[in-house]
Amino acid sequence: MIRRFAVTGFLSLVAAAGFAADKTLVFGVVAKSNNNPVFQAAKTGAEDEAKKLNTEKKANIQIDWRTPNEEDPQKQADAIEQLVNNGAAGIAVSCSDANKLTDAINKAVDNGIPVVCFDSDAPKSKRLANFGTDDVDCGHKTMSELAKVMNNKGVVAILAGNQNAPNLQKRVQGVKEEAKKYPDIKILDAYYHKETPQDAAAKVEQVMQAHPEITGWAMIGGWPLFTDNALKFAPGTVKVVAVDALPAQLGYLRDGHVQVLLAQQVYEWGTTSVDLLYNKVVENKSPPSSFVKGELIPITKANVEEFAKNWEKWLPKK
Amino acid sequence: MALPGKLSFSKFPEGGLILAIIVLGLVLAIFGGSVQRPKFEIRDGQRQRAIEVTQEGLKIPASTTVNKFFNAQTLIQIAKDTSFFAIMAIGMTIVIITGGIDLSVGAVYALSAVCGALVLNHYGSSGGLGAVFIGVLVTVGVGTLCGFLNGAMIVAFNVHPFIITLGTMAIYRGIAFVQTSGQSIGDFPEIFRDFVRHEYFGGLSLVPLMVMIIVMVIGGIFLSKMAIGRKVYAIGGNEIASRFSGIRVGRVKILVYTLSGLSAGIAATLSLGYYGAGSSGDGSGYELNVIAAAVVGGASLIGGKGTALGALLGAVILQVISNGLVILNIPQNYSQIVIGVVVIAAVLLDQLNARLAERRLLAKTGRIKKEVLESSEAPASATQETK
Repeated sequence: MIRRFAVTGFLSLVAAAGFAADKTLVFGVVAKSNNNPVFQAAKTGAEDEAKKLNTEKKANIQIDWRTPNEEDPQKQADAIEQLVNNGAAGIAVSCSDANKLTDAINKAVDNGIPVVCFDSDAPKSKRLANFGTDDVDCGHKTMSELAKVMNNKGVVAILAGNQNAPNLQKRVQGVKEEAKKYPDIKILDAYYHKETPQDAAAKVEQVMQAHPEITGWAMIGGWPLFTDNALKFAPGTVKVVAVDALPAQLGYLRDGHVQVLLAQQVYEWGTTSVDLLYNKVVENKSPPSSFVKGELIPITKANVEEFAKNWEKWLPKK
Repeated sequence: MALPGKLSFSKFPEGGLILAIIVLGLVLAIFGGSVQRPKFEIRDGQRQRAIEVTQEGLKIPASTTVNKFFNAQTLIQIAKDTSFFAIMAIGMTIVIITGGIDLSVGAVYALSAVCGALVLNHYGSSGGLGAVFIGVLVTVGVGTLCGFLNGAMIVAFNVHPFIITLGTMAIYRGIAFVQTSGQSIGDFPEIFRDFVRHEYFGGLSLVPLMVMIIVMVIGGIFLSKMAIGRKVYAIGGNEIASRFSGIRVGRVKILVYTLSGLSAGIAATLSLGYYGAGSSGDGSGYELNVIAAAVVGGASLIGGKGTALGALLGAVILQVISNGLVILNIPQNYSQIVIGVVVIAAVLLDQLNARLAERRLLAKTGRIKKEVLESSEAPASATQETK
């Protein structure tokens, strides 16, 4: 008898819970890792944009942040499946491994849930759009900024990260193409390394010792600048332009080791992704092109303090 | 594993784990709320979103409301997410029963996946059954070989498994990195991916679940029904006594580490089929989840205790907690804290249970002793009364 009551009670509770569906639009956001400040900025951006849309358009958007603590594409794929099962209205993802995430993205889209990529794309998937940096353009901009600070002459080395990463190859290509516009600038070579701050800093030191004639570094990623005292030369003797403007990198701008940092729109990874999802889910509008280009913002000694204030807003309060 | 007579949790070693899963499930089913899922139908030979007409005559996409936890998709997804860890946890449990540990299991998983991925990628998406056979053989074979090397080094150098497997963890992952230069390897034979991802009953991927159950059954038979399984427990119980009783401890140890590698190879094969790529970063940190699953499942780190079913249930508990946090909309940052608490609680409960069992045994021994004494005194007093 008791057992029958218990079973009936349980089924009633399950049924009651089943009919208590709310009308909240849940947008799942799956970034690469919680340990990287750029994704904390994206999280703040997504949450701010949701609040803005909730106020301005009377939407009821909730951000469900499902990012692994360490980079793990398998966990990202599982998170996308969980979001689909939990009724997310849309998903934004920065792919740690496009190969591993393509099926999960396609499954979400097949279930009627739009997916947008930010920062890192899954080009073979059915995602609605990708918001990120144009890598060839990024290479061009890095070189043109470096040419400016080198007065259009000198010897340049490219710090290039992992030689097999397609996006980095495109950036190197952009640097080399742009350098052709400056006849007095010679590209020495592109130097590859394991993408850790220590390996990158060691590579810079090693190359500088072998080639003291270098007068400029085009760093298509900011790897060595994520550690202190990575650049051993006196500030200003060698000009440096690097991609990204994370809090750790800003000190190099202040002390004159680095002349320009090219900041990716990391906060906008969140805001634009939420906008793209809102437009698709609520207004049934797709972007005109599946690639939504993010700009690179030059940060110099002149505007570094102003830019640094952004990180105070973007990063969680300690 | 067998349940003699009437089902009783107290007599069933894994009863507590099953009870914990049922309680967790009830909590999630009741407090998890519900979710609206789109309805699909086959129109013109294609799967399309079903349309329903409202009372006002408007045509809107049809959807159905289901409980967030208690629905087939979520339950199968939990089983699928569990399967990779559970398979490795079964291998790890066998190692832990001998009093050992395998910290390299995540790296073995990565190296197996990378080697298998390179072979499968060589044949490309049009590869046939032969390509799949070779790819699977390489994946499982590399895992088994890595496990064998772990065991052989532990026995040959007579060094604690913690040290050897800590070293091989770095070596195996390093080899995986060198092989791939850190890149993801995909583009496998479609036939392989279709098999592992095949969806039954309208969207349920059951292959990982079925493989997990098969591994659990084989692991259970190995440990509880085969002589070698008893030797594994004997070594964990008392290695010196086992040696003196004629058990070839070295051989058994090599075997258990080989089985741990084999289980990592099987999990890596499933991962390649399900996720469609392998990279040197695969399985980073998984060793801790796998050890946690084994411990929560009742394996004792001092050896001599643990079951294959317990390992599977331990992995299920951790996965249900992890998914439960998502279902209950609790920020996932708390999941690691919760899992850590669960592992410590499981070990404490295990110790408490061991102490209670010891007390029960002492009490029972005392009772028997008393009864024996009483029965031996009774005839004597009866003889005196007669006199």
